[in-house]
Amino acid sequence: MTAEARAPRSRLDPEPVTRRDVLGLAALWSAITALGFGLIGSLRLPRAAVLSSPSKKFRVTLPDSLPAGQAFVPPGRAVALFRDAAGVYAVSLICTHLGCVVKSTPTGFECPCHGSRFTLDGTVARGPAPQPLPWHKVTGGGGEYVVDEGANVPQGTRLQA
Amino acid sequence: MSEQERSSSALREFARNLRQAPRRFLETVFRHGPPRTDRTRSTFVFGNVFLHLHAARTHRWSLRWTTTLGLGLVTAAAFVITLVTGVLLMFYYKPYPDVAYQSIKDIHFVVPTGLFMRNVHRWAANVMVVAVILHMARVFYTAAYRAPREFNWVIGMGLLVTTLGLSFTGYLLPWDQLAYWAITIGANIAQSPREITDALGITDWADIGGLQRQLLLGSDVVGEEALIRFYLLHVMLLPLLLVALLAVHFWRVRKDGGLARPADADRRLGPPPADAYPVFTEAPRKTYQLAAVVRGRTAAVGNGPEQTVPSMPHLFYAELGVFMLTTLICLALSLWIDAPLKELANPNVPENPAKAPWYFLGLQECVSFSAFMGGVGIPLIVLAGLGLIPYLDREERGTGVWCGGPGGWPLVRWATLFGLAAAIGVEAFAIRCGWLREWFPDIPQLVITFVNPGTLLAALYALFSLFVVRKQNSVRAGALALFTCFLCGFVVLTIIGTYFRGPNWEFFWSPADWPKH
Amino acid sequence: MNRNKNLLLLSSLGVLALLVAAAVQENILKSWRRIQGAARGEAGPVDVRLRQIVVPGLKAADRCVSCHVGMAPGETGIAGPSVVAAHPPVAHDPGEYGCTACHGGQGRATEEADAHGAAPFWPEPMLEARHAYAGCGTCHTHVRVPNEMALERGQRVFERLDCLACHKLDGRGGTLRPGGAGGMEGPDLSRVGAAGAAVDWYEEHLRKAREGADATWKTCFGPTEEDARRDLDVYLASRVGAPGLVEAKALFHTLGCRGCHKVNGVGGDDGPDLTRAGARDPGRTDFTHVPGAPTLANWQAEHLRDPAKIVPGSLMPALGLTEEQVDGLTFYLLSLRKSGFPEAYWPKDRILAERFGEREFAADGATLYGTFCAACHGAQGQGMRYPGMSVAPAVANADFLAVAADEFIAGTVERGRPGRRMPAWGEKEGGLRPQEVRAVVEHLRALGGVAAAEADTEPPHWAEGDAEAGARLYGAYCAGCHGAAGEGADGPALKNRVLLSTATDTYLAQTIARGRRGTSMPGFGNASTVHPALSAEDTEALVRFIRKWENAP
Repeated sequence: MTAEARAPRSRLDPEPVTRRDVLGLAALWSAITALGFGLIGSLRLPRAAVLSSPSKKFRVTLPDSLPAGQAFVPPGRAVALFRDAAGVYAVSLICTHLGCVVKSTPTGFECPCHGSRFTLDGTVARGPAPQPLPWHKVTGGGGEYVVDEGANVPQGTRLQA
Repeated sequence: MSEQERSSSALREFARNLRQAPRRFLETVFRHGPPRTDRTRSTFVFGNVFLHLHAARTHRWSLRWTTTLGLGLVTAAAFVITLVTGVLLMFYYKPYPDVAYQSIKDIHFVVPTGLFMRNVHRWAANVMVVAVILHMARVFYTAAYRAPREFNWVIGMGLLVTTLGLSFTGYLLPWDQLAYWAITIGANIAQSPREITDALGITDWADIGGLQRQLLLGSDVVGEEALIRFYLLHVMLLPLLLVALLAVHFWRVRKDGGLARPADADRRLGPPPADAYPVFTEAPRKTYQLAAVVRGRTAAVGNGPEQTVPSMPHLFYAELGVFMLTTLICLALSLWIDAPLKELANPNVPENPAKAPWYFLGLQECVSFSAFMGGVGIPLIVLAGLGLIPYLDREERGTGVWCGGPGGWPLVRWATLFGLAAAIGVEAFAIRCGWLREWFPDIPQLVITFVNPGTLLAALYALFSLFVVRKQNSVRAGALALFTCFLCGFVVLTIIGTYFRGPNWEFFWSPADWPKH
Repeated sequence: MNRNKNLLLLSSLGVLALLVAAAVQENILKSWRRIQGAARGEAGPVDVRLRQIVVPGLKAADRCVSCHVGMAPGETGIAGPSVVAAHPPVAHDPGEYGCTACHGGQGRATEEADAHGAAPFWPEPMLEARHAYAGCGTCHTHVRVPNEMALERGQRVFERLDCLACHKLDGRGGTLRPGGAGGMEGPDLSRVGAAGAAVDWYEEHLRKAREGADATWKTCFGPTEEDARRDLDVYLASRVGAPGLVEAKALFHTLGCRGCHKVNGVGGDDGPDLTRAGARDPGRTDFTHVPGAPTLANWQAEHLRDPAKIVPGSLMPALGLTEEQVDGLTFYLLSLRKSGFPEAYWPKDRILAERFGEREFAADGATLYGTFCAACHGAQGQGMRYPGMSVAPAVANADFLAVAADEFIAGTVERGRPGRRMPAWGEKEGGLRPQEVRAVVEHLRALGGVAAAEADTEPPHWAEGDAEAGARLYGAYCAGCHGAAGEGADGPALKNRVLLSTATDTYLAQTIARGRRGTSMPGFGNASTVHPALSAEDTEALVRFIRKWENAP
């Protein structure tokens, strides 16, 4: 049938691609690029540029009567200060395992979360803690000291009293 | 097959499946091939959860730019933009007095992209309010609310109110002077039914106004309770309501047969393009497929020539285009003007003038005459009137055509003239000569509540439209006149409230004339 | 169809362009990035990031250190543009108190205009560098500040004794080192008033000068008279590390500003309370009539020069201040910015002032007079009259002091003159305490050089005579100045309940007879070109007439 030969295309046939739809593709891809760029930009938002934690450095006054080997924990801080014959030092009280605050005991430190134990100088005695408790930098003198929680010093570094 | 052979073939199959996994994965995501034929284009639409709200084919009338000006899409796009930026802002916003203000300052100064996001959020919200009003006007002027779309118009009213509510509740969140005093006024408008109950002496046991205000603020002052309530409304209840209404609205558009078009749309469109498929030229195998549930013939049978095109990609180019255009507008405004942030809210030092968001300044102008009428009475009357339009106008002439029906363009022109003149005239009179209280200081409040410039203006508009109904002998003509008048009144009052009202809500030609204190 | 594609293409490209612009603005154009990029630390370039000092107790997050990198706690050896320089050494560690507590401004901002508070809608702009020490007033209330003369006396002694040879004060001096090269220089005295000096410093110095090993000690210190040492102690006690601020405060307590204005609850009520005069929001201040920049400092200075010009209708008279005084008072007013910081941050002086009733001014009569009285009665008690106001009598007039008993003067100070400008300082809130009133009376006696009033053995009311005749005499000679009904005009009002109940007849008669030399009140005991001499009877009659007002309504 000649009529059939000239029958219009079927709806089920692919549309004859006479020319590439450059304009459509360009439009689509520029939209995708723009939205993608916007998405990347907005994904930067949740990462805070500044943290609202207070200064890591703080001042502390050690009581004159502090016996050697006894920890002095300034209120609100997770640092234990010690004074012995060789000088003053500060040991972090943040467990190196998962960040719980360890409890200071006469023989060392105990972590309540997963049972890590540390000796008085911060060395791991048992438990899952992978590292010793770090020592913080102490400056000052005459009973008034400045502890910098942001700066660690090798274990055994004391400030000459 | 030996035991060994079988296990090795299973291993080979495992390896083959592993190799084919990426391709199979894509095939399971996109179940059909590229949308090149009419059938795959259709499946592209209804096989996609996000797109299947669309019909598979779109009428060419709907794709004309002048049919809708894309206003509904602009509104939806602006909503999507506010939603995305709003969620991002929630990362840093803290809904507690003073802290809220500081968190906005943080967003301005240290949050990566924070200021930009807040600007976009603010501007998209404004674009949304403008677009939703224009969209409503478009639907009205093309008489697209008529059967079977009456209820969708009512849903649209709900969307308008919800949009304004979202904008208003967001206004308090920065907790600056602008926010605090705008909301203080807003909350007192909610309390204004007391004007009536006080006058009737029944406030003690039917304190509707006080209850409304208390429900809104959770306290008797704008404080932390109010902030958390507004926050809840702004980020949770109203967005949920809006999304729900939006879903119904879209679904109704689809179910009510797409966009309204004039009866002679085919003639107006002219012959279809040469490469369009004729209707059912081939194998009309399934014309009866819906016969079980649909009365009469399917819409297309015998309705040639074919005037529909596949939604994919024709409609989607348009939709995506409008979305990107809306984004472009919001971004441009954001880079140009920063969202305002005044000093920290101070309950002891009122802003003077304390102005509501701009779209409420028309209402605030009415409120300055009577709190109840301006804040509650007139808005309710307007909303009720708007909602009734499709049920009162049941004519058929002019559907789908701009300013179609009796009266047409000339009527709209006259109504615009009358609407502007009446609004400006009444305002000028009230500003120049004062009102009842200035002439008769002892007049009862109830009289002022019902006879004030706002109600006078509304009455003038109503009378004008009744006159038009009589003259044109058409309800549609009256509606056309009334709607135009109210739009003009809204514009005039909003402009006066925005630009010509200064401290103590007094009239000034320019902010430069404001007294310094 | 193509229209929609074009729409999509163009809007997308536009969106992309705007996003890129926003990204550039945010990631490249920020001024703190440029500044940090130019800064060098000890170990190479500093790491470019936002920096801040967080002080939870003060609810502060001060990002000033994003630009002023060198001022951040723990940063040392930062070099680069001047903006990254380290903070000069001060009493307070910026790491502990942040920046805005002292300097004002908007700590959360990271753009210069916003941070320095020049932007609209920030009520607390930064203090200018020349007024930086006004920031001390945020927390501190310097107590027992002497008047200007006492400070100047102390300073003269300090200079005469050449203390700066060994000691440093506010960065000056300390060039001569006792003990020769390598020896210690004298302690820095810049904050000796806050830290407190040793009680026996004088004896110690003398001993060292006597026993000193080297020539420097022997020559640089010698015996000093006691008066000079007292003045010196006053001066040293005022050295609290806020150069200029104590002097400014002393000036305020010399010019008598508290006569009309309250600060921290103490003072008169005629003018506005100045307790937070330095914390006013410039955005809510009227700068219409202020020439120059719309800063609070400028407003205060211009207002001091001519109050009525800046605030039309203001009752405050133009005080005729010198430019130096204007600068000083402006400085002090700016320091009145008491904050609502938690009490844990209160310094000792503020606790003393607010919890223990310690006075901000010294307790000597001269300072008290300078604090409360000098604005109206004149620095020397010579009396004043501002345009448009009633006359304030010459309270250090020798004739007055000769006839007025101490009780009369003290009663006047305490009970005031109801209906006139003179407040009842002993009765009103924020007034004077009894021992302070006594000190003021003593100071007046010292000013006038009259050690005590003439003895008066008469009863308070003894005058007899013809009131009718007194009325005629009053109309002829007194009404011109004191008003026909005694309501006062050029002269003070006589029809005043408190005046007449505290004044004895002797006082009134003596005043009429002697007059007040050096004022416009003539002595009617002797004749002059405009009036004849009044006899004792005439005077008595006048007193009788005036007495009639005592119980008048």
